[in-house]
Amino acid sequence: MDKAISVKALTIAYGAATAISAVDLDIAKGKVTVLAGPNGCGKSTLLRAIRRLHQPKSGEIRLGDMPISGLKEKELARHIGLLAQSPSAPDDMSVEELVRLGRYPHQTMLQPWSAADADAIQAAMFGTGVSHLAERRLGSLSGGQLQRVWIAMVLAQETDIICLDEPVNHLDMAHQIDCLDLVGRLNREHGRTVVLVLHDLNLAARYADRLVFMKDGSMVADGAPVELMREALIEDVFGISCRVIEDPVHNRPLCIPIRNSSPRFGAAPAA
Amino acid sequence: MSIAARGLSPALARINRRAWMAVAIIALITVALALCGIGFGSTWIDPGRIVEILIGEGTRGERVVVLQLRAPRVAIAALAGGAMAVAGYLLQKVTRNELASPGVLGVIGGAGLGVVIFLALLSDESNSLVTSIVWQPVAAMIGASVAIAAVFLLSGQQASSAVRLLLFGIAVGAVAKAATLILMIVGPIYRTTQASRWLAGAVNEINWGEVQVVAIGLAIAMVGVVAVARRLPPTDLDEVSARGLGLNLPVFRILVFALASALTALAVAFAGGVGFIGLMAPHLARLIVGRPVLAGIAASFLLGAIMLIGADLIVRVLFAPTEVPAGTVTAVIGTPYFLYLVLRRGSTNG
Amino acid sequence: MPLASSNTSIRVPRRIGRHALFSGLAVLLLILMYLSLAIGYRLYSPAEIWRAVTAFDGSEAHVVIRDLRLPRALMAPLVGAALGIAGVLVQTLSRNRIASPDTLGLNAGAAFAVVMASGLFGVASLPGLSLAAAAGALATSLLVFGLAAAAGGISPLRIVLVGVTFAGLFDSFVNVVLTVNETMLDQLLFWLAGSFADRKLSLALNGLPFVLVGGGIAFYLARSLDILQTDDSTARGLGVPLGVVRGLSFVAVALLSGASVAMAGPVLFVGLVVPHAARALVGLEHRLQIVAAALVGAVYTTLADIVARFVIFPREAPVGAVTAIVGGCLLLLLLRRRAA
Repeated sequence: MDKAISVKALTIAYGAATAISAVDLDIAKGKVTVLAGPNGCGKSTLLRAIRRLHQPKSGEIRLGDMPISGLKEKELARHIGLLAQSPSAPDDMSVEELVRLGRYPHQTMLQPWSAADADAIQAAMFGTGVSHLAERRLGSLSGGQLQRVWIAMVLAQETDIICLDEPVNHLDMAHQIDCLDLVGRLNREHGRTVVLVLHDLNLAARYADRLVFMKDGSMVADGAPVELMREALIEDVFGISCRVIEDPVHNRPLCIPIRNSSPRFGAAPAA
Repeated sequence: MSIAARGLSPALARINRRAWMAVAIIALITVALALCGIGFGSTWIDPGRIVEILIGEGTRGERVVVLQLRAPRVAIAALAGGAMAVAGYLLQKVTRNELASPGVLGVIGGAGLGVVIFLALLSDESNSLVTSIVWQPVAAMIGASVAIAAVFLLSGQQASSAVRLLLFGIAVGAVAKAATLILMIVGPIYRTTQASRWLAGAVNEINWGEVQVVAIGLAIAMVGVVAVARRLPPTDLDEVSARGLGLNLPVFRILVFALASALTALAVAFAGGVGFIGLMAPHLARLIVGRPVLAGIAASFLLGAIMLIGADLIVRVLFAPTEVPAGTVTAVIGTPYFLYLVLRRGSTNG
Repeated sequence: MPLASSNTSIRVPRRIGRHALFSGLAVLLLILMYLSLAIGYRLYSPAEIWRAVTAFDGSEAHVVIRDLRLPRALMAPLVGAALGIAGVLVQTLSRNRIASPDTLGLNAGAAFAVVMASGLFGVASLPGLSLAAAAGALATSLLVFGLAAAAGGISPLRIVLVGVTFAGLFDSFVNVVLTVNETMLDQLLFWLAGSFADRKLSLALNGLPFVLVGGGIAFYLARSLDILQTDDSTARGLGVPLGVVRGLSFVAVALLSGASVAMAGPVLFVGLVVPHAARALVGLEHRLQIVAAALVGAVYTTLADIVARFVIFPREAPVGAVTAIVGGCLLLLLLRRRAA
C-alpha cells in the first residue's frame, strides 16, 4: 500500500484532558478514508492534527517520508488542503474572491499572481459546478451552493491530499449526497487522496474505501466498510443495537439502528 | 402595614418583610454617609454638630459652610444618584436586559444635547438666560426622551438583543455628543463654561435653588414610578404571556421609558453625566432585596445615593482642593463591572 | 478528463477599471487639497497661493497660506489615509464591520498615552509624543483583544462594547489629568477636540514616517489579510501564520492610529466609515482595499476639514465633531441593516 500519510503513536492533549491517545494510522494514497465515531471520540482532532492544527504531545505524523513538523506553513498547505468544520467568510465576499483565496500557498511576494493561479481557480470552479456563480455574493447562496464553493476553494489549493471536517453537517439530504458524490468524483477522476470526518455511519460506509472507527480518543478498528460494519462492533463503538443489511442499490453495508444500548442514555439509573 | 390583606402567602410576606428590613439598613448607611459627606472638607465637622447646625444652631461661619456649601452638594448627589439608579432599575426591568442603563442607552447624551440647545436658544446677547433655570431639567428631559425614542425606533425588532440595543444607544449617544460639541463652540463663553461644567458630571457649585428644582421634579416622578411599579412584575414575561395577564406591553414600555428619561434628565440636569450608577445600583439592589419591586426601587434609590455621595467624597479626599468630576470614580469602578457582564459567556444573546 | 474547459469566463482582476478609479480618486484629492488652501474665512486665488509657496513675502495672505492653510492641507489627507488603512486592518482582524480604532478604544488609548507622556513624564518632542500615542494604541488593542480572547472568543458586537467602554474610561482619565493640571488643559484641550487647524508643518512631517511604515506593513500583509477574513481553521489550513500576521497587523494599526492621534487628536469614526466605502469600490481583496482606503480616507478628511470651516461660519467646527456625526449615522445604518 502506498502511504500518503502515516500517523505514529500520536497523542494530543488539551491542557490536562487527553483528546486522542496513541493512535497509529496509515492513510492510503488515492483512497477515500473516513474517520467515524460518536461525538467527542477525537475524530476531528485527528483530522486537524494531520493538517498540523494541533501540536502533538507525543508521536509523529509523516507526509510520505517527511515529518510534517519540519515543513513550512505554506509548504504544508501545498500538500494538504483542509475544509474546516462550519467555515466562515464575509457575506459580501464574491464566490470568485473566496475561491481565489485557495491560491495563497502558491503565491509569493515576488510572484503574486500567475497564469497557473487563474487556471487553477477556473478549474476548481468548473469542477465543482459553481462557475456560473462567480460574481454572486456568499450571503446570497443556498447552503448546498455555499458548500460547493468552499470545496472549490480547497480544490484551487491543488493539493494531493484533501481533508474535510464534517462537510455535510448542515446540509439537507439531497445536498449531502450531492456534496459527497462530488468528493468521490474528485477522488476517482483526479486521484486526490481524501480524508473525511463524518458522523453519519451510513454515509461513511457508502463513500469510504477505508473506514476508521474511533472511540474515546483511541482507534478501535480500521478496514474496508464490509469488514467494519458488523453489528457487535457498531454496538460497541456507537452504543447502539442495530441490524446491518446490504444496501440493494450500492451493495454497501447499511446500518439500521434499533435502540440506544448505551448505559448513559438507557433506562433511569439505579440510584 | 397589612400584608395579609394584599393576599400574599406567608412565604412571600416573609420575603417582603426581609426586603424592607434590608432597605431600612441601607437607609441608615445612606444617612451616615451623607453626614460624613457634609462633615468632610477643609475643616472636619462631626456629625452631632452637623445635626445641631441643620436644626438652626451654630456660628455664622459654620452655617455658611454647612448650609450653603456642603449640604446642597451632598443633597444633589443623593437625589441625582438615586434618580439615576431608579431609572436604571426601570430600564433593566422593562427591557429584560441586565446591561441596560441610562448611560449606554444614549439617554445621558440626549439630555446633554437638550441642555446645550436650551442654553443656546434661550440666552440673550449679554449671555444671560431669558427664562428661568427651572426649565433646564425640562430641556434635558426632552432631549433624553428624544434620544431613547430614537434608540428604540431605530433598533426595532433588534431591541430584544441586549448587546444590539446597547450599540444603538452608543451610536445615538455619539451623534448627540458631536452635535453638543459643535453647539458649544457656536455659543458664547458663558454658555460654554456652563455646559462643559455640566458635561463633566460634577456636583460642586450647586445651590439650594437647583436642589429644590430636582427635589420637586423627583417627587412628582416618583409618584409615577410607584404607580407603574405595581405593574412591573409581568414584564419579566415575554410579550404574549404578558398580554395574557392583561398588560399591554408596548404601551406600558413607552410609559416606563418616559419615566426613566424624566428621572435621568432630573439627575443629569445639574449633576451632569455620571456613568454606571444606573447600571450598578439596580444590580446591587436586586442582589440584596431580591425580587420585590417596591423594595427593589427603594433600595436602588438609596444605593444610587450612596454611590454618588461616596464617589464625590472620594474625589474630594484624593484630589482636594482640585475639583475632579465624581463621574471619574464611578467610571473606574463601573468599567470592570460592565466588562465582566459583557464578557461573561452566554449571559445575554447577541 | 481535464477539470476545466478553458472557455468558461472567469474574469482575471480588472486592472484597468481599478487604475482609472484610483487615478480619479487621486485627482479628486489634489483638487480638494487645492481647495483646502484656497477657501475658508478668506478666499485666495491660485496665483496668490503659488506666490506664497514660491516667493514668500511675509504679507498676511502669505502667512495664512503658508503657515495655517498649507499644514492642514497636507495633514488632513495624511491622517485620513492612516485612519482609513487602520480601519481596514481592525475590521479584518476582528472580522467585524463596526470595528474601528474608535469603537475599539484605540484612539482614546492613544490620547490618554499622549496626555500621560506630556503631563507626567514631561515628554515634549514630537517623535516622543507620536511614539507614546502608538504605544497607547498598541497597549489598548492588546488589552481589548486579549480580554476578548480570554473570555473564550466573544461575538463581534461584544468586542465593540468592550472597546467603547475602555474608550469611556480613558476619556475620563484624560479629564482627571487635565483637571488636575490646568496649564496642560490650555495646551491640550484644542488638540483633544480633533482638528487639523493650528498645526505646525513639522507635526505632519513627523507623522509621515509612522504612516508610511504602518501602511507599508499593511500592504505587505495584504494577501494574508485576505485569508484572515475566513475562520481561523481555514486560514491556518491555507498556510497563514496567524500569530505573525496578527502581531504585525497590531503594530501597523498602532503606528497608524497613534500617528494620526498625535497629529490631529481623535478625529472620530474615520476608521469606521472609510473601509465601507473602500470595499464598495474595489471589493474585498486587501491589496486594492488598502490603497482605496488610503485614497478615500484622504479625500474624506480633507473634505470634512473644508466642510468644518463652513458648518457654523464664520467660526470653525472641530473636524472630529463633523466626522463623528457622519460616522454615528453610518453606525446606526449598519446596525439597522444588521451588517454586523
